[in-house]
Amino acid sequence: MKSWGEALGRSASAHFSRVGRLRRAMLLLAVAACTGVALLYWRQQTGDQAHRPLHSLYSGVEPQWSWVCRNERCERLLATETTILQSLATCNMLCASTQLWPQPTGPVSLATAAVPVRADAFTLQIRSSPSRDVSDHLSDAFTLFIEDLKSLERTGSSESRRSDIGPSRDVIVRVAVNGSADPRLRLETNESYKLTLRPGDGVLYVDITAYSFCGARHAYETLSQLIWIDPYAGSLLALEAASIEDAPKFKFRGLLLDTARNFFPLNEILRTIDAMAANKLNTFHWHISDSQSFPLKLNSAPQLTQHGAYGPGAIYTTDDVRTVVRRARLRGVRVLIEVDTPAHVGRAWAWGPAAGLGPLAHCIEVEPWSAYCGEPPCGQLNPKNPHVYKILEHVYSEIIQLTGVDDIFHLGGDEVSERCWTQHFNDTDPMDLWLEFTRRAMLSLQRANKGKLPEVTLLWSSRLTRSPYLERLDKKHFAIQVWGASRWPESRAVLDMGFRSIISHVDAWYLDCGFGSWRDSSDGHCGPYRSWQQIYEHRPWIEEMPGMSTGAEPWLIDGGEVCLWTEQSGPGGLDARLWPRSAAVAERLWSDRPEGATADVYLRLDTQRSRLVAKGIEAMPLWPRWCTHNPNACL
Amino acid sequence: MVRQWIALVVFVHLASGNNDISVKDLTPSVYEPSWTYKCVPDEGCQRSQSPEPTANYTGTVYESLDLCRTVCGRFGGIWPRPVTAALSSQTVRIHPNYLRFDLIDAPVETREILAKMTQVATSNLMDECNGNVTDIVETPVIVFITIKTPNLEQTWSTDESYMLDVQNKEVNVAVHIVAETVYGARHALETFTQLVTADKPDYTDQYRCGLRLISGAKIRDKPVYPHRGFLLDTSRNFIPLEDIKRMLDGMAATKMNVFHWHVTDTHSFPLESVRVPQFTRYGAYSAYEIYTTEEVRELINYARVRGIRVVIEIDSPAHAGNGWQWGKEYGFGDLAVCTNEKQWRSFCIQPPCGQLNPANPNMYKVLRDLYKDIAEMLSQPALFHMGGDEVFVECWNSTQDITTYMESKGYERNTEGFIKLWAEFHSTALQIWDEELTAMGQSEQPVMLWSSELTQAHRISKYLNKDRYVIEVWEPVSSPLLSQLLRLGFRTVSVPKDIWYLDHGFWGITKYSNWRRMYSHVLPVEANMLGGEVAMWSEYVDSQALDTRVWPRAAAVAERLWSNPSSSANIAEPRLQRLRSRLAARGIPSDVLSPGWCAQHDSRCL
Repeated sequence: MKSWGEALGRSASAHFSRVGRLRRAMLLLAVAACTGVALLYWRQQTGDQAHRPLHSLYSGVEPQWSWVCRNERCERLLATETTILQSLATCNMLCASTQLWPQPTGPVSLATAAVPVRADAFTLQIRSSPSRDVSDHLSDAFTLFIEDLKSLERTGSSESRRSDIGPSRDVIVRVAVNGSADPRLRLETNESYKLTLRPGDGVLYVDITAYSFCGARHAYETLSQLIWIDPYAGSLLALEAASIEDAPKFKFRGLLLDTARNFFPLNEILRTIDAMAANKLNTFHWHISDSQSFPLKLNSAPQLTQHGAYGPGAIYTTDDVRTVVRRARLRGVRVLIEVDTPAHVGRAWAWGPAAGLGPLAHCIEVEPWSAYCGEPPCGQLNPKNPHVYKILEHVYSEIIQLTGVDDIFHLGGDEVSERCWTQHFNDTDPMDLWLEFTRRAMLSLQRANKGKLPEVTLLWSSRLTRSPYLERLDKKHFAIQVWGASRWPESRAVLDMGFRSIISHVDAWYLDCGFGSWRDSSDGHCGPYRSWQQIYEHRPWIEEMPGMSTGAEPWLIDGGEVCLWTEQSGPGGLDARLWPRSAAVAERLWSDRPEGATADVYLRLDTQRSRLVAKGIEAMPLWPRWCTHNPNACL
Repeated sequence: MVRQWIALVVFVHLASGNNDISVKDLTPSVYEPSWTYKCVPDEGCQRSQSPEPTANYTGTVYESLDLCRTVCGRFGGIWPRPVTAALSSQTVRIHPNYLRFDLIDAPVETREILAKMTQVATSNLMDECNGNVTDIVETPVIVFITIKTPNLEQTWSTDESYMLDVQNKEVNVAVHIVAETVYGARHALETFTQLVTADKPDYTDQYRCGLRLISGAKIRDKPVYPHRGFLLDTSRNFIPLEDIKRMLDGMAATKMNVFHWHVTDTHSFPLESVRVPQFTRYGAYSAYEIYTTEEVRELINYARVRGIRVVIEIDSPAHAGNGWQWGKEYGFGDLAVCTNEKQWRSFCIQPPCGQLNPANPNMYKVLRDLYKDIAEMLSQPALFHMGGDEVFVECWNSTQDITTYMESKGYERNTEGFIKLWAEFHSTALQIWDEELTAMGQSEQPVMLWSSELTQAHRISKYLNKDRYVIEVWEPVSSPLLSQLLRLGFRTVSVPKDIWYLDHGFWGITKYSNWRRMYSHVLPVEANMLGGEVAMWSEYVDSQALDTRVWPRAAAVAERLWSNPSSSANIAEPRLQRLRSRLAARGIPSDVLSPGWCAQHDSRCL
């Protein structure tokens, strides 16, 4: 068998493992060290490629592509047709686009030269840190960063590691944090950072300055995007020099996962948090309970899980929650646990009578469900039972203690069935009951939070957040998560009224839409599917905000959140639902660039998708691989 | 309701013996919920009202949902639904170590493959317990397999029917399988595994698992349609062999029998051709993203053991580009034209462009070499798909070579002229295929072709012979083409794109069909209606995202084609829930059908 590569004097051949067996493959790289701009791999040419009869090429022929940067885009060429053998990843990194995701908002300058690096040759030096706590977080997050690099390094075949790409550089990462001594993400946390990368003698120096641990951590994330695996070299490469200043446009960048409709094992949640961090999303909104199930096992109210969980094993213990919170904190992510009330509760609250507490909830699993709730099974808390508020106080207190998040809280508060309450309390206006419930839940929250209300308490938009009830909510304490469609008048009214808000418009940022109804053959309540482009291009604060000329106050939008409700999602299909679409939201909220889904956005997101896949996140492809191989050709 | 009252009375009675019960929480503080399930006639499996383990139940309760589903309802947990089934509601504990297959009544020719089929069945049983059946029982289970013909061919007339009887005798369990062919027997083995469930608590941490088999069953079964296909496109994105095998596992679990392998397209050419190595060299995404001849043979065997026939499609004359772009370099002239044309909108419907060059005789030479390779790979009698869809006239029309050729043939440069050229391509291609099969000693075989402009009712009979072509119709359900072709006497396979395309709903204005929509679509029943396929085009899936895009929706189509039930999707849902968990046990993740609560309360979420 005559290998295509073996004809070449200076080529090496190696065994690649592929789908369970070794396969002879070519490696015909002969590298000339490069001066100047680009790191190029040179391949010696042989003459007689053309006009060979078919039969002389029976076997051993392997395809191999090379990419060259022409007119600011990478072009795919057959390796035999070019003198340069360069991988797509390297070409993309060194050609025109920054390849960063989300795109930094400050000045960026990047070298067009790369040097080999090794994951085990990175060292951290903490230059300054406002507290021991921050220092510890910096080193622990750095360890995670190195682990990520190591797993990336492993995706390059070790057998193809080449000696002739030059010696790898050691990398010294010097971090200075001047600011918050609290490593937690707080509402006031400054997440900006500066990152510079420059070559010294035999060493790359990375300097990171930030005002908070979270900012420094984002810098790690950006740094990791300046490092990639070159499959032809079998080595990590890093840009030789870079300078980046960056800060987010919105401070609340969330992702909601509903673990009540269907249960998700802990590893799925941890993986999701890793993926969020890779996109600089900073809030994991954990919709942990609903009428279907209550998997959160709290020490203060274990009955909720006993009666509400799908089964043993479909439970999050307090240790599980701590594991999530710990990982999230090192990833610069806050964990916002929502126990939705007063609606969206179920069998978890059915134990009141047996415990002598009276009914804690009404309409539990009542039939016909369609009369009492939006989807089966029904259930709504009993607003007149004082035990309810005592239990909520315990629940809130334990959540705050577990997550360490006490400046922002989510009460839920959506989709109350007036009919359910009317049936039990026919002497009271159900809207008054709802307001009363909300007031008393806030008292529970205040007591749970050591007598102090969180700076922001979130409520879902609902009938309660429409006039005339909205006026009765206190703007100082409540912020509204607006899930209604962006064009609904009530979605705008909340903003026009001057409430702080988080945008989760159902017509743009609901990831569960478009899969049809799970109860019948109809289209379901919120189709069609939101493509990443639509998600990316959603900028209601620009498109719909009343003009300054009208004299209206600007909207107070703290940020946005992409939502995955899980009627039709379970473990296994999670990643493909979330990614890369959540990455599109992430850039919208971090960078908020005026441009839509332009060619550069496709290109960078495609690269980001491959980063996610390398991290083990099963993100959907953007398009056929040919389009990845031929940047811009599919647009 | 009555039972609850009784329970309450008992509770009050017990409680009255104890004085301070009024405000005490009776819930022990450490236990975790352990639900049980009841099989309620006409409703399905229902979760218990209380999470507490209670002793005083009346009636049968099951500790796991899977166990309940396996015995509940007329067809238990069997998917697709058999023609008739009488199932006992009792189960008997079994262990794979004491499972024996008796092949004495199977013709010698069938035994080798049959043995492999029994191994697959055993391994599927082990999977129910994640490979570790901790509950050891020594009851012998003997499966007697009777097969009537030694014929191993897979064709549209293969008899796939079977009978399956399970009898629990005093000392052992006897399972009798009677089938015409080994493939019928395979389906029986699949059904047999579906009479078994793991007996393990849901979601438990401590591992214990036993197997339970329905202790008595009598099943008669056969498919409605002989062609029950799954199409996978491995050109838009490469799909590794391991993933394809997993898809075949899912097909076998649902008795689908045709793997339609859309292996090439304009985007890439991952199929190795030993005679024309340039195909992969110029067409594969990388050296690692190739199906070697050896791997293809292995896959074809893998499929056969699972009762599946592999149909390779080399789409042509359109949908061919990358892999064909080396002609000039080798002195063959352009084998394909418009390949990777940058202004793609003028030359094709989706980038990259590419269309074979029918004016170039060398193209047919290369095609012949490719066909030879494929004929050698496929098992006999070979079923080949020639593609034939979406010829973009503007591409040919803009190529000088071709317009000159058309002039020489007296084809006008209008629609009919291009149709003639197109038809000429197919007729030449078919002739080559016939010659290559003949050279290998095979008889002429029908080939498959996509519906297109060429297969329009007013045109098709002029160009295509109904005895030679089976038309795969992908027009939307609103199109009359399918019934027109049936009326013209063509054999057809139906893949209505607006219902049975799995990629719809993720791009453009297409709409996602959930499993209910897919299930509810009904095909005409007549001899020339060979069946249908569910199609996974791979623009937006690759190795990632594949399984949940395909499953459980493909299973809905599988039941439509095997059983063609007149009952609704709602009736089928509990069995499909059981199938989901079975697929999961076999390592195939599938999308959930509903919230977990609905899965635990059959028919309460309708």
